Amino acid sequence: MSTDDLETDLTRNTENTPRELLTRSFFFLCAALSVVTTISIVGLLVVEASKFFTITAPLMDVKGETASLVDFLTGTTWQINNQEFGVLALVSSTLMVTIGSAVIALPLGVATAIYLSEYASAQARSVLKPALEILAGVPTVVYGFFALIYITPALGVVFPGIGTFNMLSASIVVGIMIIPMVASISEDAMSAVPDELRQAGYGMGATKFDVSTGIVVPAALSGIFSSFILALSRAIGETMAVTVAAGAQAKFLNPINPASYLEGALPMTAAMVQLLNSDITGGGLAYRSLFAIGLVLFVITLIMNVISDYVARRYREVY
Amino acid sequence: MTGTEDPTNDEMLVQTDVSEGLSASESSPKRDAGTVISSNDINVWYGDDHALTDISMEIPENSVTAMIGPSGCGKSTFLRCINRMNDLIDVARVEGDLTLRGKNVYDNDVDPVALRRRVGMVFQKPNPFPKSIYENVIYGLKIQGIEGDYDEIVEKSLKRAALWDEVKDRLHESGLDLSGGQQQRLCIARAIAPDPEVLLMDEPASALDPVATSQIEDLVEELAEDYTVVIVTHNMQQAARISDKTAVFLTGGELVEFDDTQKIFENPESQRVEDYITGKFG
Amino acid sequence: MATDTESGYAEGFGQVSRTVGTVFRYLLLAATMFGIVTLAVLLVYVANDAIQPLTADAGWHLTFFLTLVVPTTLVGGYLYRRNTDALKLGSTVVGMLAVAVLFSGGVAIVFVDIIPPLTGFSYAVGLVIPAALTVILTKYERQISFTPRVAATGAAFFLSLFGVPGYLHSIPELVQKAPVVPSDWVILALVLGGVAALVVGQYIARIREDATAGLIAGVAALVVTGLAALLGPLLGYDSNSFVVVTAVAVVPTATYAGGAALTRKRERIGLLLAGTVIVGSLVGAAAVDLLGFAGPQSWVNWQFLTNPHSSSAERAGLYPAIGGSILLMVTVAALSFPTGVGAAVYLEEYAPDNRFTRFIDVNISNLAGVPSVVYGLLGLGVFVTYLGQATGTVIIGGATLALLILPIVIISSREAIRAVPQDMRQASYGMGATRWQTVKNVVLPEAFPGILTGTILALGRAIGETAPLIMIGAPNVLFSLPTELTSKVSAMPLQVYAWSTLFASEDFYTKAVPAGVVVLLVVLLAMNSIAIVLRNKFESES
Repeated sequence: MSTDDLETDLTRNTENTPRELLTRSFFFLCAALSVVTTISIVGLLVVEASKFFTITAPLMDVKGETASLVDFLTGTTWQINNQEFGVLALVSSTLMVTIGSAVIALPLGVATAIYLSEYASAQARSVLKPALEILAGVPTVVYGFFALIYITPALGVVFPGIGTFNMLSASIVVGIMIIPMVASISEDAMSAVPDELRQAGYGMGATKFDVSTGIVVPAALSGIFSSFILALSRAIGETMAVTVAAGAQAKFLNPINPASYLEGALPMTAAMVQLLNSDITGGGLAYRSLFAIGLVLFVITLIMNVISDYVARRYREVY
Repeated sequence: MTGTEDPTNDEMLVQTDVSEGLSASESSPKRDAGTVISSNDINVWYGDDHALTDISMEIPENSVTAMIGPSGCGKSTFLRCINRMNDLIDVARVEGDLTLRGKNVYDNDVDPVALRRRVGMVFQKPNPFPKSIYENVIYGLKIQGIEGDYDEIVEKSLKRAALWDEVKDRLHESGLDLSGGQQQRLCIARAIAPDPEVLLMDEPASALDPVATSQIEDLVEELAEDYTVVIVTHNMQQAARISDKTAVFLTGGELVEFDDTQKIFENPESQRVEDYITGKFG
Repeated sequence: MATDTESGYAEGFGQVSRTVGTVFRYLLLAATMFGIVTLAVLLVYVANDAIQPLTADAGWHLTFFLTLVVPTTLVGGYLYRRNTDALKLGSTVVGMLAVAVLFSGGVAIVFVDIIPPLTGFSYAVGLVIPAALTVILTKYERQISFTPRVAATGAAFFLSLFGVPGYLHSIPELVQKAPVVPSDWVILALVLGGVAALVVGQYIARIREDATAGLIAGVAALVVTGLAALLGPLLGYDSNSFVVVTAVAVVPTATYAGGAALTRKRERIGLLLAGTVIVGSLVGAAAVDLLGFAGPQSWVNWQFLTNPHSSSAERAGLYPAIGGSILLMVTVAALSFPTGVGAAVYLEEYAPDNRFTRFIDVNISNLAGVPSVVYGLLGLGVFVTYLGQATGTVIIGGATLALLILPIVIISSREAIRAVPQDMRQASYGMGATRWQTVKNVVLPEAFPGILTGTILALGRAIGETAPLIMIGAPNVLFSLPTELTSKVSAMPLQVYAWSTLFASEDFYTKAVPAGVVVLLVVLLAMNSIAIVLRNKFESES
């Protein structure tokens, strides 16, 4: 074979044949779509929310009614008909659902993770893991219905003063719903703990209890922590269960007073659904308030996701 | 493509150990044939790790060239430089010239895909595709757009790989149903079906039992009649049995000595090579 | 444990630690079971409200107990002790039949009510002709280069489906205008039976390694479908539904069972279980009919499944919502599967390790954590307000839900692609394959089961979502099936939400809503079980 042939053969550039270019560009566009989505979400929320506030509306060239940013962030009354947009009324009830579900899901989730990772036989795992996945797979509106129709009446036996809509039943179902998330991420973290550490513990005469609580859990702590944050961020964004079971009147409640869990209130997500179901005209103040709440919700969950990611990344460096 | 580097600054690199040992240009190949592959001061980095240092050697046509050395010495890395498989590793960086029949394969205009079509490769672990035996053998023909009588090529390649008699009645069964040694011979048949010029083998027998190993060894010697075979092995006896020339890599990614196999094993120039061969080191 | 003997002191200490360990272990187990048991109790409640099994005659329960429960338990128990693989095969066949019947219901809604059979047939013809052309072109892959081939394929599809307005009729138009058109059941038998015959033929040809056997099996499948159409009216049912159920559920299940009987000699006794369940149900049904025992007054009944919403809970039905959910699912799958897999392929096989790639990476994991209601806002703001689309349509809902599950599809597809052994890629690249050739021939076929599992699970998530649909203005009440991509759409969870909030009353709480919840959960359970079965099969193979 002559050198010329070799030269043309070796430099034929298969990388840029039409077929390669077409497929590569398609795959790239698919990946870029996620960036477009993010930009759209952020852009839309920022633009629409800034039309809502008095301070930013002139920038967007919007005339007509606006709301004060300070009142929005510090007000504790949410009454659209009276033009009162105090988001703290909504944030406080979101916080209650978050705290309530955390009380249920965090300990149960970690216990589940320890059981699955350290105690359960392979056969038990093969039954329990799909069962847990079903917990996460039930639609949230169904959970909301369960809370409203079955759990609230049952709670009424213990707490006679409980409202038809109440934060307690909503928190319970949201808690159940996020158990699998805590459990599976924590279990991954625990499985990533090297066996040598466990064997070192057993070698010193430690029991399984000692090893689980004294070695595995501390070693997996950052993974567990990361699962907490992710699960709570999920609880904050949870919509249908709280809309059906807790969503009533917007009300500023004290999240650390247990008695307030017997009342109903309006978490952020439920407020958004309620706004949509009331008659709002596109472009009106109520419509824009939707995006203002959306922005608050997005920022909170984004921060939590970033923190969780950061924590998870740090722990990955350890092993 | 990552990994391709500016080949112009090789004057700046100074030849070190290679000039102390027997440089390739000084040795004469056992068979009368031209040089197919010639490397000149090849350096490879994986990130900050300097995996190969100034490798220069010339690989003669239609012969078996073995590369031996302790694990981690860079012999496989060098093999993967020849067909630019290192390009697939993001952090790998190659500097220096490596020519195939006079054409530097690290030139910017060289297409690694086209290069790999001329340089077949057999891997350490048998890796047939989860397809039928037949489909495995014609894979290269299909992707390279080679026309011809596929049935005939399949038969020829499988015969060449000494596998035909064992599989001729079940060509349409999965390649994964074969034994380890059969799988490796299938991989060899797959590699030679598109008729490459050079065949690279990366420890092809290390995952096999002794019987399968000796079958592969016989096969390698036969293949050298038609192909230029470059084989990496950690088994010194294997290198001594089947190769015409041997390159000894030692720790740190340097080529310590490259010469006729007989000379390497009977009378090496370098004390380090002698220590390694006699088992004092490595 | 084993270490704590030696002295009396150590033994006493060991006793304490052993007790603590046991208590701890059971506490953990209780914690694990808490959520599962709570959900199970809730499910029992809702199923009881929806189906009301206690309203049936005692004789009804007794009949089915004798004809179905007892024989199934006996056969199942025998198989469990003798041959668990056979038991597995038997339960797979039963499960497959159940899921396939469910699926055939969905197919019937789409191909009978949503798309009129003639329209569907005309488009099927319009697709088959250019597809056949493409296959022929592929045979000449080596003579014709890539660009003209793609152009020709594209042109063929375009001309066939759209024609040239004013000059050339499209094929669907021609078919629809044909002077003589076959009746609906003939079309259904041809199209669905044809697809079934193709699948059956290929399957049989593969397991028997005999093309003739495949051909015979395919023709048989087509004939059986046609016979079902004739048999339906004799039994007092509609031909169309008989054809659909036969082609989509009966024929494939029978083929699978037949194939297993032929190839898996050791396990084929398990088919006895499937036979017992089927025969038991039929005999039971005939017996209660004959003896006049009344069944339960279930709210999940034919009327509930086929009626639209009504303000009276007894008459309210889920039909438009079921159809809407199916259309949404098809739209979401069509939009999110190619893009999600494409993005995963790019990130795993093409992307250089640079900042932009890392940015996409972080971005996707953050998108997965964005609340669904915010995706709803995205749909409302971008599609409705900025792009001026009508609110609440199938395409808007589908696009919004597709964006919502896209990160999940990408993440699970990436996992599946990453699980493809590096050896395979090396072998392919080592042969001189290009990226696309490696992706097409090696990576995607190997990763496909994993990708499919992830996508089905993500689709399950999509059809359970309500909030985004509310946000994009999907109507709470819809009285007719959506028939086009631009029709207003409802969905099962949305209907459940509407009934349990906007029509809140004791009647709806105890009748329509539980029935809706049960239907929704059955569909989701079917999808999840398909995904889990696929995953187990995939995991045991690799």
